Amino acid sequence: MGVTCVSQMPVAEGKSVQQTVELLTRKLEMLGAEKQGTFCVDCETYHTAASTLGSQGQAGKLMYVMHNSEYPLSCFALFENGPCLIADTNFDVLMVKLKGFFQSAKASKIETRGTRYQYCDFLVKVGTVTMGPSARGISVEVEYGPCVIASDCWSLLLEFLQSFLGSHTPGAPAVFGNRHDAVYGPADTMVQYMELFNKIRKQQQVPVAGIR
Amino acid sequence: MADVLSVGVNLEAFAQAISAIQALRSSVSRVFDCLKDGMRNKETLEGREKAFIAHFQDNLQSVNRDLNELERLSNLVGKPSENHPLHNSGLLSLDPVQDKTPLYSQLLQAYKWSNKLQYHAGLASGLLNQQSLKRSANQMGVSAKRRPKAQPTTLVLPPQYVDDVISRIDRMFPEMSIHLSRPNGTSAMLLVTLGKVLKVIVVMRSLFIDRTIVKGYNENVYTEDGKLDIWSKSNYQVFQKVTDHATTALLHYQLPQMPDVVVRSFMTWLRSYIKLFQAPCQRCGKFLQDGLPPTWRDFRTLEAFHDTCRQ
Repeated sequence: MGVTCVSQMPVAEGKSVQQTVELLTRKLEMLGAEKQGTFCVDCETYHTAASTLGSQGQAGKLMYVMHNSEYPLSCFALFENGPCLIADTNFDVLMVKLKGFFQSAKASKIETRGTRYQYCDFLVKVGTVTMGPSARGISVEVEYGPCVIASDCWSLLLEFLQSFLGSHTPGAPAVFGNRHDAVYGPADTMVQYMELFNKIRKQQQVPVAGIR
Repeated sequence: MADVLSVGVNLEAFAQAISAIQALRSSVSRVFDCLKDGMRNKETLEGREKAFIAHFQDNLQSVNRDLNELERLSNLVGKPSENHPLHNSGLLSLDPVQDKTPLYSQLLQAYKWSNKLQYHAGLASGLLNQQSLKRSANQMGVSAKRRPKAQPTTLVLPPQYVDDVISRIDRMFPEMSIHLSRPNGTSAMLLVTLGKVLKVIVVMRSLFIDRTIVKGYNENVYTEDGKLDIWSKSNYQVFQKVTDHATTALLHYQLPQMPDVVVRSFMTWLRSYIKLFQAPCQRCGKFLQDGLPPTWRDFRTLEAFHDTCRQ
């Protein structure tokens, strides 16, 4: 597991989500990247049940339960700005038992699916973010396998991102700045996906013309 | 031309020699005819025997005479091809049908070619001996027979000394940690961890570095039974490339009389990889080329270059 950067690619003007994804993958293939199967990241939101809230009227925290096809035997549970728990996939069953404390938000499931590409030591995953039946946006994940310190290889990653995202190259993800010298882990990637999904959910509340 | 002339002088003798051979052959066949016919046509047994013996003797004497004649002539003929540079093969040039059997010209070509090959091989061997890749002292002049006795002294250093040198290097570079182990007898194996960038397995023979493998910081360097895995290569292309360069460095840093200096220079060079992912190429200014960061480090200046950007 190397340093990973997750970002959103805006839909090109006058194009559908699908067309923009195709444009992007064609660029990758021209660069020399090889197709290596598919990937999927999904996320479900849970509310803290009203009965367990304290009498001080504190707002219920949201918890996100996520899966990543790169780690098929694990389940990730995250709070916003909070700790990230990495558990076995059995954790899903446990959540059903904890219904009294955490309640699944209705129609909150959001996921991204797409193709996995390998280019040298880079792993690129371009996915379509869907919520319910409709496509909401495009996610681009780039992993650089050999390096484990985010700050070490950010300039290198940036150069690679620029080579196929052009003007849509993102800034450094927030998780990169958190711990300066720590080894990058799978949880950091999941936090980035959670932030991306939240961003896309908010975009959905303000309907934007041209997304679909 | 001289050869042809000298052959011409002897042509007379040749003709005589050939007829002498013919005579010898016919007299020999007469001997066998006589033996085949045996004794016959005489009334008494004694007469038959006498006649046969006399006849046989005559025949043998004529063989003897012809043989002597041939020997005398062969001395006259001499050895015409002796002074030719190609010896007997030079006679091929006398073949009049050049077009059908161009043996002689082909032979000359092959001869020239093999001469040139020998010359060039000699030059190459001279040059290669100057730039010897043998990293231990005293090996050049030692003959194969004496080699087992004349072991280079630098190969039989006490393990304690090797430990000292390695631990001194370990203390020299704070960002580099060296773990020494001896799983197979006296030869040391080092696991060098450079920051959080890479790990290097170094196989030593006394104080000579025999082999290095570079792997990623997050890659496994042990086999299933817990030993250092000195055979498998890294999964990442960038570290495979660095492994190649490290092997080049082993051959570059050589000073047979002072092996500890060699190890120290190699480690100093290796330490420059601490910025493997952070340093752009000193020539093209970029980080990536064909998906790889600058993997080459100059041996003297330790500057970072892409493999194709270095001079």
